Amino acid sequence: MTLAVEAIAPGATVAKIAYASQWRLLWLRFKRHRLAVIGLVLTCLVYFIALFAEIIAPADPERANSRFVYHPPQALHFIDTSAEGGWSLRPYVYAYTMKRDPATLKQLFVPDAGGRKTYLRFFGEGDAYQLWGVIPMNIHLLAPEKAGETFYLFGSDRLGRDMLSRVVYGARTTMSIGLVGVIISVVLGIFLGGISGYYGGKIDWVIQRLVEYILSLPTIPIWLALAAALPKGWSPILQYFTITAIISLVGWTELARVVRGRFLAMRAEPFVTAARLDGAREGRIIFRHMLPSLASHIIAAVSLAVPTMILAETALSFLGLGLQPPAISWGVLLKEAQNIRSIAAAPWVFIPGGAVILMVLSLNFVGDGLRDAADPYSQ
Amino acid sequence: MVEFAKLGIRPMRHGRMLAAALALQVGLLAPGLAQAFGEAPPLKQLVDAGKLPPVDQRLPKTPQVITPYERVGQYGGVIRQAMRGDGDYNAILRAVGAQGLTRWDIKFTEIVPNVAEGWTTNADKSEYTFKLRPGMKWSDGQPFTADDILFFVQDLLPDKAFFQSPPPRYVVNGKLMTGEKIDDNTVKLTFGGPYRTFPEEMAAPVGQHPVLYAKHYCKQFHPKYATNLDELMKQNNVKDWAALMRLKCGDIEVPSRWANLERPTLDPWVVKEPYKGGATRIVLERNPYFWQVDTAGNQLPYTDALQFTVFGDVETILLAAINGQLDLQIRYLNAISNKPVLSENMAKGAYTIMEMKDLNASSAGLMVNQTSPNPALRTLIRTPGFTKALSLGMDRSEINEIVFLGGGTPRQIGPLESHRLYNKQLATQFIEHDVKQANAILDGLGLTKKDGQGFRLYPQGGRISLAAIVSIGSPAYIEVLELIRKQWAEIGVELLIRSSERSLFYDRAQNNDYDLSVDAITGGLDPTQEVRSVLVVHPLDSRQSIPWVKWYTSGGKVGEEPSESMKQRLALFDKWKVEPDEAKADDIYRQILQLAADAFEVIGVAQPPAQLGIRKNNLRNVFDTMPYGWTYATPGGSLPQQYFYAR
Amino acid sequence: MARYIFKRLLATIPFIFLVSLTVFVLIQLPPGDFVTSYAAKASANGETIDPATLDSMRVRYGLDQPMLTQYFTWISGIILHGDFGYSFEWQAPVSSLIGERMLLTLVLSLLTLAFTWCIALPIGIYSAVKKYSLGDYVFTLIGFIGLAVPNFLFGLILMYLAVVYFGQDVTGLFSPEFANAPWSWARVADLMQHLWIPIIILGTSSAASLIRIMRANLIDQLYQPYVVTARAKGLKEVTLLLRYPIRLALNPFISTLGWILPHLVSGAVITSIILNLPTAGPLLYQSLLSQDIYLSGAFLLLLCLMTVIGTLLSDILLVLVDPRIRFD
Repeated sequence: MTLAVEAIAPGATVAKIAYASQWRLLWLRFKRHRLAVIGLVLTCLVYFIALFAEIIAPADPERANSRFVYHPPQALHFIDTSAEGGWSLRPYVYAYTMKRDPATLKQLFVPDAGGRKTYLRFFGEGDAYQLWGVIPMNIHLLAPEKAGETFYLFGSDRLGRDMLSRVVYGARTTMSIGLVGVIISVVLGIFLGGISGYYGGKIDWVIQRLVEYILSLPTIPIWLALAAALPKGWSPILQYFTITAIISLVGWTELARVVRGRFLAMRAEPFVTAARLDGAREGRIIFRHMLPSLASHIIAAVSLAVPTMILAETALSFLGLGLQPPAISWGVLLKEAQNIRSIAAAPWVFIPGGAVILMVLSLNFVGDGLRDAADPYSQ
Repeated sequence: MVEFAKLGIRPMRHGRMLAAALALQVGLLAPGLAQAFGEAPPLKQLVDAGKLPPVDQRLPKTPQVITPYERVGQYGGVIRQAMRGDGDYNAILRAVGAQGLTRWDIKFTEIVPNVAEGWTTNADKSEYTFKLRPGMKWSDGQPFTADDILFFVQDLLPDKAFFQSPPPRYVVNGKLMTGEKIDDNTVKLTFGGPYRTFPEEMAAPVGQHPVLYAKHYCKQFHPKYATNLDELMKQNNVKDWAALMRLKCGDIEVPSRWANLERPTLDPWVVKEPYKGGATRIVLERNPYFWQVDTAGNQLPYTDALQFTVFGDVETILLAAINGQLDLQIRYLNAISNKPVLSENMAKGAYTIMEMKDLNASSAGLMVNQTSPNPALRTLIRTPGFTKALSLGMDRSEINEIVFLGGGTPRQIGPLESHRLYNKQLATQFIEHDVKQANAILDGLGLTKKDGQGFRLYPQGGRISLAAIVSIGSPAYIEVLELIRKQWAEIGVELLIRSSERSLFYDRAQNNDYDLSVDAITGGLDPTQEVRSVLVVHPLDSRQSIPWVKWYTSGGKVGEEPSESMKQRLALFDKWKVEPDEAKADDIYRQILQLAADAFEVIGVAQPPAQLGIRKNNLRNVFDTMPYGWTYATPGGSLPQQYFYAR
Repeated sequence: MARYIFKRLLATIPFIFLVSLTVFVLIQLPPGDFVTSYAAKASANGETIDPATLDSMRVRYGLDQPMLTQYFTWISGIILHGDFGYSFEWQAPVSSLIGERMLLTLVLSLLTLAFTWCIALPIGIYSAVKKYSLGDYVFTLIGFIGLAVPNFLFGLILMYLAVVYFGQDVTGLFSPEFANAPWSWARVADLMQHLWIPIIILGTSSAASLIRIMRANLIDQLYQPYVVTARAKGLKEVTLLLRYPIRLALNPFISTLGWILPHLVSGAVITSIILNLPTAGPLLYQSLLSQDIYLSGAFLLLLCLMTVIGTLLSDILLVLVDPRIRFD
């Protein structure tokens, strides 16, 4: 009830508090949950990065460079001290040269003689691109001052491509199409599970047999057949979208069964009976009265489904499905890292894994915050 | 020798030197006198216990003498190797070695006798008379004679139930090979025409058929000899005798060959723990009747056993290797990109890295589909100059540096420079990276219109775009394509990469649903054994046009008629096959290569870097720079039976 | 209830028929057939097979017959003779192949299950009761790391570290000398030495999701009025937790309990492959990839049966745990 006290601004009437909308109350409660707010900010930030990937990425994520294969990450410096002892504010990194050990063929990176620096410039010109596939531009958030120079804040991959740029571009696919599947399976799961548990009897019987049927189908041959059947004219993104959509058609079963179990238990509860006697429509009973009691479970299920969905790609790519180059996603990047060569020589190619963890944690905290804000019983 | 052993002298070390000396003397003084042979201590014990005949009775009268690669070795030890779970039975074949009538010498320069003691042929090379080794035994101690070869030639080869259509290497001018027994140790094989390359065919891993089936054992599964076939079929849960025969007596590339413990073989090691479903370990033990000896008269093999651990994943094999769990491993470690990791852990794993000579012509090459499903593109591909522009648009040194760690050298395809059939044009045309010239050629072809993203358009509209198929099992090829995609964008040509699971990849190729296919290009050091990159003869892998292959193999009934150049080559190839004279045959083959060079259907990338393998530091007599390829059945061609552990 | 169970069991029979037919069609849905993949395999290793051999294989395996004919031969073999058919790839009866692998799969699955539940449930309860405590955050973080790192990668890294820094043999379930040995105490001991890595790798990701789900469902219950009432009446906290909220929070676990076994058999395939486990998963995966139709068909039928029975069992359990639920 501290909330009410906070909400009373000087001069406000009591009536105003009473009419504060439900959404506003939700927001006020949500704001108190510090981690949830941080999570929300991070999520927004990732979407912002995904939206402006072309500008934020320092380079073309496709540009290979045979001189900088598995380049280690470079630290970004801002304060440039000159030999005379003066200093200026100017971003730069120390330049390295790659040498290949003739015996082991291992690439070694040695700092350039005299500590040569690669100077960078904010909103400088770099690789040309088309923003959102339309506007031709070549401005990057951070670009080398001299054309032709390179820098690798997250290191480079086995083809000498900039990892930072790849992670940034990957966010776009992963945070859009990658999550469509989660949404579809959650909606299907709640809907079918809900009516199965609420009505029971014949409807329950049919839906449960459908669930068993879907679970009994082997997915691997379906994927293989799908890989062959997808029209080759489709862009990698469209193919990927189709695949995620189909994954979600299988993925709803587990949630549906859990929701059904909870509904079976709940439909005998007094508040449901009360609502029913009150003449509430069934849709309202299910979605307005019963579903909120499952909020925690649904949020947990969603935050578990997100990494599963992102990583489903790494498993799919074993079958030659998932995203095809040149499309990039975090799943693809992690898949590329799954070999001894990367573990031994270039641990920085696991950075996309960090991005996945960060994203999932953010979404989870946002979800927790929402749940707490919406729960009338929580303290 | 026997007496020395009876006197209680410690078996091998001293015994062998004496044996060597003795053998030498006997050889000098009185050829034909019974020779004294050495044998492995465990076998010696069995002999002493009366469970095994003495070594001189187990060996043929004239065992094949193998000159060890480095020196005469010592007995003992197990060679541990890795194989994969999915149908990797050829890993066993490669390690055991294909014991055919003939074989390649260790250096891969000439064909030498193997199971046969020698052979003669008539003037036009349509008849071969093989002399077998008198007294030679199968691994169960039963004699190996001409009857065993005839069992295959007469009872299996012509049988429609066993071979729906016989393997092509036994058919010349449409006629099946026939056989005739001259005496117990001599057999004559006759063909429908000259067959110059027959001894070579018999040395190939798939040329083992004539000496694969032991008649005394296998005849019980053949309707001509069997008495209780129905019962046996029922017991083994198979429907026909051919299946039963394959189950019990094997075939060349089937897992059951390594699953039946009873099957007599001529191999240096015989199966002890079988290769069957769910097996995690396969063990082969020394064949006490193996018919080769070293120069000191010691019966081979030196090592007691071969042991294969079945691994699910390639990465795990690499881990096992750096952990020192493998004594000899080539398969799955051979990519040059493994070199840094392997080098770093050499001391820990106590192994040496072998750098083998790849038999291939190019470590990766683009087979441009001459019968592309896209009609506009097909016309373009067949227009002279287009593939040249594609080749000039590739930066081979970048690909070599990134994918092959700088280990290869830019080149096209065809025999390597050291080979007698080397064709300079085929190997080196258009290998420089010249974007300007490539653009000029494409402009000259009338492809001057470009779309918003800078890709060229056909005169009638539509982006010039090539779809490349590649199997996900080959990450290096995908990397090559990713680099070429970027490089070709500079010349306004789009490359679409369609990577897929292996079966789907082959399926797309079979259905002619691709414009480009990337793969290793064979025929660098074995150009006349691996002809598929210049001649459309391989039904799966001649991907410069599968419809052309179908046309050729069906005699023009199905598929599509090839280009003039290819038809000329195929006609020359048919001539080459039945040409008895080596020099003339080479001349014909040179013409084939020249035609291929002019047609320029396959674009090479780089001469293959060394293929890697590891061996334990103390595993000796290993030919470290041995050829790497199926023709040599690496490492089988280097005779693993003479590998030994130095102590 | 007994009537309900009987009806469910009766319905299983036509259901399994339906599944067997769909499964049989699905297995062959990908392009090509066993012979194509056999040839592809050889070709990928740089080895060649005569096309004549391939054609004769197709005839030998009956792959040239229409699919329905193949199906009826297969299914009538199962019903009439209990013969599950023949594996093309291994040239052995299917039943012998599956039997060998099932035991180890069961052992591994059950141990993993025990491991995850023992770890996950207490942590989940702790996290829910002490919501937003330091401990809760730490477990959340660890849990999500476990979820966000692919099992395959986790396995590879763990094995790499074990090999490079400890020189330990980490692949497979047995040392080579025990691989084909008959069961003995020494073999069991050897198994135990190898078992911990797969259990940890297989267990972490499922433990993470178990923790989250337990925590979420318990939170849903903890602030319900009945809990407040019980607490107000002076019930001891532990008794209170155990008697109602935890029991009710177990509902989602019970709903999907029946699927754990089929999940463990068919899931975790890639992990089993990388860890080189001789369990059923890799064999199933491989048989599906190579279209070894009778082997994969038999596996899938078995899994389907496990799913159906598992679902029934968990429905029964739902009623036993929560008397409010009924099915009539």
